[in-house]
Amino acid sequence: MKGFFLGLSNGVTCVAYCTPVLIPYMLGEGKGVAQNFVTLMQFLLGRLAGYLCFAFITWLIGLSIFGGLGSKGLIIGILYIIFSCLMMVYAFFRIDVPCAARSIGYVARKIRVPLLIPVAAGLLSGIALCPPFLLAMTDAAGKGSLSYSLFFFFMFFIGTSVFFIPIPFVGALRRLQALQIVGKMAAGIVGLYYLYTGIMAVIAGAEGI
Amino acid sequence: MKTDTPQVPRGEGLGRTIILTAITAVITAVMFSQGKIPQDPKGAIALILTFLFANTLFFLIIYTGKTDRYRAVYFSTFAVMLIVSFISHMLEARGSMSLSEAKVFQCEVPFCHLVIPMTLVPIALTKTIIFPGSLIGGYASIASMFVLWIGATLALGRGFCSWSCFYGGLDDGFSRVLKRPVIKKINPKWIYLPFAVLLFVALTAAAYLSPTYCIWFCPFKAVTEFNAVTSTEILIQTIIFVSLFIGLVIVLPVLTKRRTQCAFLCPFGAMQSLTNKINVFDVRIDKEKCVKCKRCIQVCPTLSMSEESLEQGRTRITCMKCGKCIDSCPKGAISYHIKGTDIPGKRNTYRLLFLFAAFLFLAIFSSHIIQDGIVRILKLVTTGSMIS
Ligand code: SF4
Ligand code: SF4
Ligand code: SF4
Repeated sequence: MKGFFLGLSNGVTCVAYCTPVLIPYMLGEGKGVAQNFVTLMQFLLGRLAGYLCFAFITWLIGLSIFGGLGSKGLIIGILYIIFSCLMMVYAFFRIDVPCAARSIGYVARKIRVPLLIPVAAGLLSGIALCPPFLLAMTDAAGKGSLSYSLFFFFMFFIGTSVFFIPIPFVGALRRLQALQIVGKMAAGIVGLYYLYTGIMAVIAGAEGI
Repeated sequence: MKTDTPQVPRGEGLGRTIILTAITAVITAVMFSQGKIPQDPKGAIALILTFLFANTLFFLIIYTGKTDRYRAVYFSTFAVMLIVSFISHMLEARGSMSLSEAKVFQCEVPFCHLVIPMTLVPIALTKTIIFPGSLIGGYASIASMFVLWIGATLALGRGFCSWSCFYGGLDDGFSRVLKRPVIKKINPKWIYLPFAVLLFVALTAAAYLSPTYCIWFCPFKAVTEFNAVTSTEILIQTIIFVSLFIGLVIVLPVLTKRRTQCAFLCPFGAMQSLTNKINVFDVRIDKEKCVKCKRCIQVCPTLSMSEESLEQGRTRITCMKCGKCIDSCPKGAISYHIKGTDIPGKRNTYRLLFLFAAFLFLAIFSSHIIQDGIVRILKLVTTGSMIS
């Protein structure tokens, strides 16, 4: 569920970065709502593939870095604290975040095969190193289980995807900016949750040393 | 700047005001007494005082044409009396303000409307009410709160937050302590925070089937009830409640002259804002009369007035219909309005219709609490203790 919430809280921001590419593409194609849905599905599939790759990498990282450590809880707690603080700064005080999805426009222009554009865009947008994504990685890596990692990122994908659904009805996005602020702030509140988890993990880890 | 003569609306004439107040007097007499005068002298005094208090304020609202000034007195008194009455009840029933696990398991926690956004999704999905309160009967039962909330929401939309909520009067009251704000600039993006909190608590409550806002964030726990501190987790929760209460309900309202808890945190308020869309009443600006002095933007306690509002002639969705901007506009350009009618149209009629609905809801919500609060204070004065 945590993966879903992280995704959900970050989804609006993902939409905000991806729609500038997706919408002109859809409008440029001039197809109807049904065709727009197909494009969106291709895009989301690309995203899912990106996330699942990351789930696998995260699991490997978890295994190699945390696997042999005795004070795993302490390190994960510290990572939680760092990333949750980052996420709160990003949510409440900064507008710009690092997001690989920004480069979609550039890549989309380079790839000429129409079917691949949404898939490639999706794949790229799945590889973003924004604070919610980093937190999601820490959470998944900390558990050290491949199935957990895959499931976690799948839920992250579902959470972020909820906000993509209205895109085929392009006109419905008038309030995107307000939604983006609400989504980012929700991410900040999720950050508070991770901060708390991190502090508790550090206390427990420090007691265990 | 426009030069036309200001048309600042005045209140009603004395005769009309008396007739209108007589109507509310009859309704409130029946409502407050529920058909019988209490035998206990303290109860009888409380009934008379509550009746006089409510109707005098209604008279003044109608006669002077100033809404917010007198509404705020009633609303803040309501909030203070809630604390007096609630704490006395808790002390009487349990001997302390803290909740024991036994009370939680016995489902005896008084229900409060702030829980509603967290209960809706679980009710829809699992037909479960995720709150350990009693469904009917007892002190603040779930059924009675739901019925009152639905009624007030249909009638007032987010006007609930200036005319019905038993907590809102606290930050409203504190926001009036200083004559001028110490902190003048607030980034308007913070008005989105309650919507984020709403999103978060509605989803986490649905996922974990637990009222997350009550457990982690509610500032009013500090003055109503809280879990007995038996673990580090509960200690952290208690620190959060108390800090939010001191920060958002007392200090920031005093320094900013805004209702900071209601405008920047409360998820219930955010949900009520959405109901403004379906409510027939709104607050509108007559662009012909407005001289863009921005007084309304300065005074609005919830940042619901902006330059964009002046351009569009309407408030933001977060407007609580408190009437402060209406009272302050030097040109009488702002008024209560019924959706779908002309602006300014029959502004006095719209105002009266809104005020009747709003005042009656304030009276319904507050009557028992104010009476009980007065009885407790009388007890305190005469016996030295607020509880029996
Ligand atoms: S915003 Fe919340 S606390 Fe404030 S008046 Fe509305 S419901 Fe009550
Ligand atoms: S108070 Fe507001 S509505 Fe009234 S004249 Fe000034 S800017 Fe216009
Ligand atoms: S816009 Fe006016 S009525 Fe609405 S909350 Fe602000 S001051 Fe009150």
